[in-house]
Amino acid sequence: MKLKILFSILFFSINIFSEYKFETILSNLDDAWSFEFLSEDKIIYTEMPGKLKIASLSDGSIVTLRNVPKVQYASQGGLSEVVLDPDFESNKIIYLSYSAKNSNGKSTLYLMSAELNEDSLENNKIIFEAKAPRRIPVHLGAKIAFLEDGTILLASGDGFDHREKAQTLDNHFGKIIRINKDGTIPANNPFVDVEGALPDIYSYGHRNMQGLIVTKSGQIFEHEHGPRGGDEMNLIEPSLNYGWPAITYGIDYSGAVISPFTEKEGMEQPLFHWTPSIAPSDMIFYEGNRYPKLTNSFLVTALVSKDVKKITFSESGKELQESLFSELNSRLRNIQASPDGLIYLMTDGPRGKLIKVVPEGL
Amino acid sequence: MNIAKYPFAVLSAALFTVMLMTPISSLSNLIWLASVDMPVGIISSVEVILFDFQRLGIALFGVIIVGFAVAFSVAGLISKYTKFGGIYLYAIAGSVAIGLALILMVELLFQTQLLGGNRTLIGKILHWGAGFLGGYFYFKLISEEKNYTFIIRFLGVFYAYFILGLVLNWVFTPEIAAAEFGFVLSELSSDAQNALLRDFTSFFVATFLFSILGVITLNPVWFFSAGIIYIGAGIFNLIAIYAHGTGFNQIFIGEFILGSWPIILGLVLSYKQKKA
Repeated sequence: MKLKILFSILFFSINIFSEYKFETILSNLDDAWSFEFLSEDKIIYTEMPGKLKIASLSDGSIVTLRNVPKVQYASQGGLSEVVLDPDFESNKIIYLSYSAKNSNGKSTLYLMSAELNEDSLENNKIIFEAKAPRRIPVHLGAKIAFLEDGTILLASGDGFDHREKAQTLDNHFGKIIRINKDGTIPANNPFVDVEGALPDIYSYGHRNMQGLIVTKSGQIFEHEHGPRGGDEMNLIEPSLNYGWPAITYGIDYSGAVISPFTEKEGMEQPLFHWTPSIAPSDMIFYEGNRYPKLTNSFLVTALVSKDVKKITFSESGKELQESLFSELNSRLRNIQASPDGLIYLMTDGPRGKLIKVVPEGL
Repeated sequence: MNIAKYPFAVLSAALFTVMLMTPISSLSNLIWLASVDMPVGIISSVEVILFDFQRLGIALFGVIIVGFAVAFSVAGLISKYTKFGGIYLYAIAGSVAIGLALILMVELLFQTQLLGGNRTLIGKILHWGAGFLGGYFYFKLISEEKNYTFIIRFLGVFYAYFILGLVLNWVFTPEIAAAEFGFVLSELSSDAQNALLRDFTSFFVATFLFSILGVITLNPVWFFSAGIIYIGAGIFNLIAIYAHGTGFNQIFIGEFILGSWPIILGLVLSYKQKKA
């Protein structure tokens, strides 16, 4: 019996270590929030206090970019997402989401485009200011994704104290926004002709969205933090209401009931929900082949469960989940696949790390 | 007893104020849900109000105790050394304590308004009113002669308040309640689901009612009844672990605590009643 257990442990260990190991590439990142690959060797990444940096993964050299927008770094706010324009190779345009104070001194979410030069940003242009003023920068969402037609999706969170406004269309609390690259509004947006609705709204009834991706097939997947329980993964369609806070699987942090209802006609159900919460923080759909077991699966980083959830769907639509990389025991903030298909993880907090998941045989 | 009645009066007034405050958040939430055409009915309203009273209430209880302890101590000093005093001094102290506690919870702790019912002016005014009545209630308690039954009753009520959370879970959200005990309700057979729901629900409802009956009648038998059930659960938990090999389950610690609590109340009652 003991021998059997010993062999099992040995096999399990070999199995784990033969699949991948971890290599810390960068450390002491100051509240890093997101990153993108400029090339196999270079990443651009944000730090919440308002720093945008380019790092070389081979020699560790870091360039801090100039002319970055002034942000409001407080609570959950600061410089958030950075993404490259789909035509970045030719136009060098990047997009940044961040929190800053508006003209009335209230905190809100901004989206800016800028041209990336060697060590600075040029032609900065604010292309979106959320009509979602709040006392302090919380529940901003701030995730960015591109649709196939080149329009931009931006997640705008519910602002915590304003959760009920996620159900009305005259504001940007708890909405996914769709705009053109220059900030104009696409003529085929779902609420363009609805009186009283903001024309840039794409879907509504969201809470604090931290994962937003568009797959090659054009499907939009989003995940959002629930309160205590009820973190959701959703398939996003234009004009639909995702229910927050009228329906939810979670309860308030205070223990109060947010809603006794979990479903209602006209409100979308999540693909699935995490209860208890895992605090999902980012997501990719991995299509590379460097880790064969992960190909064609969603990889979701989590802050509370401190792991990456590998998610696939069975033919019946039931989600299948597997916990990965929990041995890091770190709050994971961001995940990206390099152009060569290697997975990198960014940890959360004031002394964050960029960790490369090195596959077998590399 | 005269000294002991003051802290228990603070605890009692805090629990009374919790009972007044939590429905403010519940009702403001229910009114909003109804405004967006959610099917708010009597059962869903009762569910929200009771759950908030228990879960939100337990979180608020600690905050209110601290606020009241400070406010009523200051009111006591003012009463002793100035010409001001009486029931309205304590009522105002209670109101100020709640108002300040709710402001400080936002400004110093959470930066956001965790208490949904406090987001509107009318909600704030109602909370101050609840604090006012809490102070009023406190003064009433300390103005009267109290004996040991006052403490027994408070501890019995607080025990029932704690058990109420389990009762509500099993009555309104049995799937979640079952999951907390390791069951996936939907994966059980129909008979097993039925057995699980009826037995667990009656277990917690019975112990809740026993403690309430103990508080009302001051008959120690009710407290012993509640205690025996939990002590029994703890003993059979250990038998399950060590005789039937079910694996270690530390819930037995909670079961022994929940069993000992009413048994101690029952023993004190028996002793005092025999002595009398």
